[in-house]
Amino acid sequence: MTFISIEFLLFFAIIVFTYYLIPHRLRWILLLAASYVFYAILSIQFIPLLLTSTAFTYVTGIIIEKQETKKQKKKVMLVGIFVLLFFLGWFKYFNFVNDSFRAIAKYMDWNYTLPYQEIVLPLAISFYTLQAVSYLVDIYYGKQKAERHYGYFSIYFAFFPQLVAGPIERAKKLLPQFKVEQKLNYENLHYGMKRIAWGFFKKTLIADRLAPIVSSVFDNPNPTGSQIVLATILFSIQLFADFSALSDIAIGCAKMLGINLSENFKQPHYAVSIADFWSRWHITFSTWLRDYIFIPLCKGKKKRSEIYLAIVMTFLVSGIWHGAAWTFVIWGFIHGFYRVFGDYTKQFRGKMASFIQLDQSPVLHKWIKIAITFLLVCFSRVFFRSDSVTQAFENAQLFLTIHSWRPSGIVQAFEIFSLLDLVIFLFFFIIVQIFHYIERNNVSTWKWLSGNSITARFAFYIFIIVSVLIFGVSGQGFIYGGF
Amino acid sequence: MRFISEPFSNLCEISTKLKGFVMGRLFIKLTIIITVVSLLFIPVNNFVKQSHDYNINHAMLAFKKHPYPVDIINLGTSHSMYAYYFKPTGLSHLDLALPAQTIQYDYKLLREYGEYLKPDGVVIISISQITFANSETNYVGNYYKVLDRTEIEPFDLIDYYSYLYLPALDSGRFNSALAGKFKNFKWNSHQSWKNNGKNYSERKYEKVEAQYREAIENKTIEQNVEQLREMVDYCSEKGYRVVLTMEPVQQSYQEYFNEEVMNKLVFQYLKPLELDIPFLNYMSDHRFVNNREYFIDPDHLNSEGRKKYSWIVYKDLKKLGYL
Repeated sequence: MTFISIEFLLFFAIIVFTYYLIPHRLRWILLLAASYVFYAILSIQFIPLLLTSTAFTYVTGIIIEKQETKKQKKKVMLVGIFVLLFFLGWFKYFNFVNDSFRAIAKYMDWNYTLPYQEIVLPLAISFYTLQAVSYLVDIYYGKQKAERHYGYFSIYFAFFPQLVAGPIERAKKLLPQFKVEQKLNYENLHYGMKRIAWGFFKKTLIADRLAPIVSSVFDNPNPTGSQIVLATILFSIQLFADFSALSDIAIGCAKMLGINLSENFKQPHYAVSIADFWSRWHITFSTWLRDYIFIPLCKGKKKRSEIYLAIVMTFLVSGIWHGAAWTFVIWGFIHGFYRVFGDYTKQFRGKMASFIQLDQSPVLHKWIKIAITFLLVCFSRVFFRSDSVTQAFENAQLFLTIHSWRPSGIVQAFEIFSLLDLVIFLFFFIIVQIFHYIERNNVSTWKWLSGNSITARFAFYIFIIVSVLIFGVSGQGFIYGGF
Repeated sequence: MRFISEPFSNLCEISTKLKGFVMGRLFIKLTIIITVVSLLFIPVNNFVKQSHDYNINHAMLAFKKHPYPVDIINLGTSHSMYAYYFKPTGLSHLDLALPAQTIQYDYKLLREYGEYLKPDGVVIISISQITFANSETNYVGNYYKVLDRTEIEPFDLIDYYSYLYLPALDSGRFNSALAGKFKNFKWNSHQSWKNNGKNYSERKYEKVEAQYREAIENKTIEQNVEQLREMVDYCSEKGYRVVLTMEPVQQSYQEYFNEEVMNKLVFQYLKPLELDIPFLNYMSDHRFVNNREYFIDPDHLNSEGRKKYSWIVYKDLKKLGYL
C-alpha cells in the first residue's frame, strides 16, 4: 500500500472517519495503530526495529532530563545519538564502508576477505533517526521536555503521513498538536483533500510520466550528450514533482486530522542562488542540518575558512544521508563547493553585474540568476542520478561538453519521448507552471482559487481528478522513500 | 459507563454537525464533483473498451465461447500473432499468441486450450528475440478473460475488476488506446519505415538489449529456458506434435539481430536443451528478408506476408510428416 493507491485512500478515509468519531482521549491509540499498520504493510520485518528505536529514544530522553549536570546530560545524549546512528549505520552504510574498504584493499593489493552482506534498508530509518536525534539534542539544550506519555511519543516517531519521507518534524511542533483535541473542521478537510489531490496530480502526471523516460537515458550504456542534458533537466523536474508530491500528500493527510506539518518546498527551481535553493528545497531537512550539524560545527569558529569548512562538512553529511554511495558524497561536496564559492564571490559578482549594467534590469538579472542556479543544481544531479562514480563522471563530462547543448541536438533528444507522451507531459507541465506562477504572485493558489467563481473552482477540482484518473501513471515508488 | 457514553455523545455531536451547514456543504460539493467526474469518465472508459489493444485477445475470446477441434495451435509473441493464417490451407487453426507474451503464459494457454487440439495436432512454439529475456510482470490483463483466475500471477483483485469494468483507470491502457487512434502521430524518425526501417530496428534492438540485461540481473532467463523444456515435455506427454519456429524479419531488423546477437539472446540457451523436435528458422529466409511488401514494420508480417509464410510453414510441416 503506497500513498498512490486506492487502498491507501480507503485506509485513510476509514482513519479520518473513526478519528472524529471517537473521543479525543482514544485518538492517540487510533493514530498509533494506524501508523504501525501502515508501516507493517510496507515493511513488516522492520517493525521490531521501529519499536526498539522508539522505546530507546523515549527512555534516553527521560534519562537525559533526569541528569543533574550538563556534562552528564551530554554524555547520555551522545550515547543515545551513537546508538541511533549505529542502527542507521549498520543498515544503511555497512556495505558502503565494506565495499570502499574492499576497493582500497584491491588497489593496495591487500588481503580483504569480508564479503558483501545482503542487508535491506529499513523503511524510513533515515527520517525517523533524524527526528529522534533532534528530540534528544533538544532535551539536552532544554528546548524540549522529555515526553512522558509513551503513546504520544510513539506517534511522534511513527506518524504515518510523514513517516516514509518527512517532512522531518521537531517534537516541539508535533507533540502538542497530538495532545490538543482537534475538532472536525470543514476548512481542514477541504484543504487537506486539495493538497492530497494536488500531490496525486504531480506524482502521477509529472514524476511517474518522466521516470521511464529519464531511466531510458541513464540506463542506456551509450547516451548522447544532448540526451544526458535533457534527461538531467527532466530528472530535476521529476525529483521535485515526486518529492513535493509526497510532502503535499503528507501535509494534506495530516491537515485532515487537524495536524499542521511544516512546508518542505517553496518552488526551489526558482531560487536565485544556491543558498536560496537550500532555503526552498527539502526545507525541514535543511533546517535540521543547520541546527544540528552546521551550528554545532561553527561553535567558537570565527575565521571565514573555518565557517567554509563547516559548510562543506554539512553538505557532505547531507550527501551521505541521501544514499550510501560515493555519488551522493560527491553530490554533497559539489553543493558545499557551490555554497562556499557563492559566498566568496558574492561581492565580485555584484560588482560585475553593476559593471555590465545588469543590475539596471532587475527582472532580467533575476531570471539569469534563476537559470544559472537551476543549471548548477542540474549538474549536481548528474551525480545524484548516476548509478556509479564512473558513470557519473562520464555523464558529467557529457553534460559539460558544449556540443551537447546544440539546440538541434537537444530538439533531437526529445525523441526519447514518443510524440504523444511529449504532448501529454507538456500539457500537464504547463498546468503545474501556471499553478506555480499564481503562487508566486499570490500567497497561495488555493486561496486565489477560492476568490474565483464556484464554476471555475469546481472545473479545476474536476480537471485534477479526471486527469489523475485517466492520464495518471502509477506504480513507481517515491524516490525519497528509498532513502 | 463514561467510556460507553462518551463515544455516543461524540457521535451525536458529529451527526449534529453533519446536519449543519458546514459538513453539508462539503458533502454536496463532493457529490457534485464525483457525479461530474463519473459522467466525464464514462465516454473515456468506452473509448478504451472499444480500442484494438483492449480487444487484442478477441480471437481467443470468440474461441472460448464457441470452441471447435483444431489442427494447429500457435503460441508466442506478436511476431507469431501476425505470422499465421492457415485458412487457405484448409487447416483449422487457433492463434494463442499475444504481444510480449511470456513463455509462462504460452504454457498456461496451451494447458487451457490444448484439449481442443485434434489427435496428432501440431503446436507451433514461436521463439523470438525476447523469448528467454521476457518477464511476466506486464500485460496480465490480456489473460483475465481467457484464463482461469488461478492461472494469473500476480493476481490483483482491484486490477482484475478495474480491467473488466473500468479499463480507462489504467493509464497504460488509455495510452495504448490513444496511440492506436493516432497511429501516425509520431516523430518522423519514429515511423516504422523511416531510414529503410533502420530507426525502428535500432530502437527495438536497444529495447531488447535492455530487457536482456535486466533478465540477466533478475535471473529470469534460466526460468524461461526451464519453462520451455517443461512445455515441450508436456506436449509429448499429451501426444501433441511440437515444432519450434522463428518468424521472418526484414533486412534492417536482421542487421541488428544478426547471428552473433541471436546467439547471445537465444541459441546459447536453446542448443544445450537438446530438444528432440524440429526447429524451423525462417528469420533470414530470402523469400522475405528483402521484400518489404510482406511486412507492416521490420519485424511483423502483414496480411500478404502472413498468407505466404503460412503456406511455406504448411508445406514444411507436410514434409516433416506432421500434417
